[in-house]
Amino acid sequence: MIEIKNVSKWFGDFQVLVDIDEVVERGQKVVICGPSGSGKSTLLRCVNGLEPYQKGEIVVDGVSLSDPKTNLYKLREKIGMVFQRFELYPHLTVMRNITLAPMKVKKQSRPAAEKKAMALLERVGIPDKAAAYPANLSGGQQQRVAIARALAMEPDCMMFDEPTSALDPEMIQEVLEVMIGLAKDGMTMLVVTHEMGFAREVADEIIFMDAGRIVERGSGDEFFKNPQSQRTKDFLGQILK
Amino acid sequence: MFDAVFTNLPYLLGGFLINVQLAAFALAGGLFLGALVGLGRISKRPWVYHPVTVYVNLLRNIPLILVIFWVYFVMPIFTGRSMDPFISAAVSFVVFEATYFGEIFRAGFQTISRDLVSAAYSTGLTYRQTAAYILVPIAFRRMLPSLITQSIITFQDTSLAYVIGLQEMVRRTTIVDSIEVRSIQLYSFVAILFFVICFIGSRISLHYEEKSRKAKVL
Repeated sequence: MIEIKNVSKWFGDFQVLVDIDEVVERGQKVVICGPSGSGKSTLLRCVNGLEPYQKGEIVVDGVSLSDPKTNLYKLREKIGMVFQRFELYPHLTVMRNITLAPMKVKKQSRPAAEKKAMALLERVGIPDKAAAYPANLSGGQQQRVAIARALAMEPDCMMFDEPTSALDPEMIQEVLEVMIGLAKDGMTMLVVTHEMGFAREVADEIIFMDAGRIVERGSGDEFFKNPQSQRTKDFLGQILK
Repeated sequence: MFDAVFTNLPYLLGGFLINVQLAAFALAGGLFLGALVGLGRISKRPWVYHPVTVYVNLLRNIPLILVIFWVYFVMPIFTGRSMDPFISAAVSFVVFEATYFGEIFRAGFQTISRDLVSAAYSTGLTYRQTAAYILVPIAFRRMLPSLITQSIITFQDTSLAYVIGLQEMVRRTTIVDSIEVRSIQLYSFVAILFFVICFIGSRISLHYEEKSRKAKVL
């Protein structure tokens, strides 16, 4: 459902993405890892049309992002995104955070949107927080609301940009459990993370990026057991220590 | 000792009401236009950013009184009919205050992280919806103390409209004074009235400042 063909991107003179090729099939879970600054987050932002790229092509559900006729707003409805620092709307309650897009973009009625939002809050395990403001939630709770907010648009694919790296250790698991649940339900997922336990459990494919390139790719087991490049071995050695 | 004031109280307070009405128009229009100006000032589109920036810099470097004269005397040349002083003053205040409110909104928008905007876009919200439901409400709340302070200045400045003959309180006071010749008590009364309103306003601003410092809701 997502085809990334030979994509390159520059910030000024600096090349952040170098000839990236990747295909994510419907229902597939792909984990991207790599050192910071390797272009992982930029790649996700490109797939969602939040950043332009200068070369190559990204096609989502048969629609090319570089085609000037493509309605990026429409396209983004299909791809949910979760950010490192949650990015909940601080002036709105949890409920309004979740119902805003369904009501404004999909023109759902308030009761319908709220019913759906409550079901999603149940799913992420915090139905009692509907009336709270984001500032009154823990990091783990905020991230689960962020996941519920993305799911409320019923996306075909979910992208996660280091969803647990801003969390205290004891809150990481509660977010990962929600993500594993999503994976088991068959959601297409593109996840930037360093949580290798999660990667091992759900990933159909693991990509290792460094300096804007895909250095290595493999299925979950072979990636860990038998990394090919020295760069990958060094990286795995460090994070699995 | 305030005999001249009491005799003419309805007339003077009627003038004060005009100040209040003018301020209400100036604030409503100035905040609305100011939010748009602020959005223009953070726009990445050169054809939006540059004209808005020229407008802001131009108006902020001209005395308000000149803007009031300019609108009152120059606008009729283009529109072909003379303008009512109140409408003329309201237009002047809106276009003038919008530049100040615009710069406050711009500062507010700049406190909002790029990823928060990305999060809004990633749920399918359009630019307009993101501006209306996310950017402007957050900037408004975060900049509330500055917005209130600027509103107080606006309220004080409404008395400048007397130069185009608007029958606001200061204008009416000069009229009463020319008949009664009680300058000290008349102008003291006007000063007290402005002071009380503006002092209350500044206290409200302070209240919100402390509130936002305590509760880190935003």
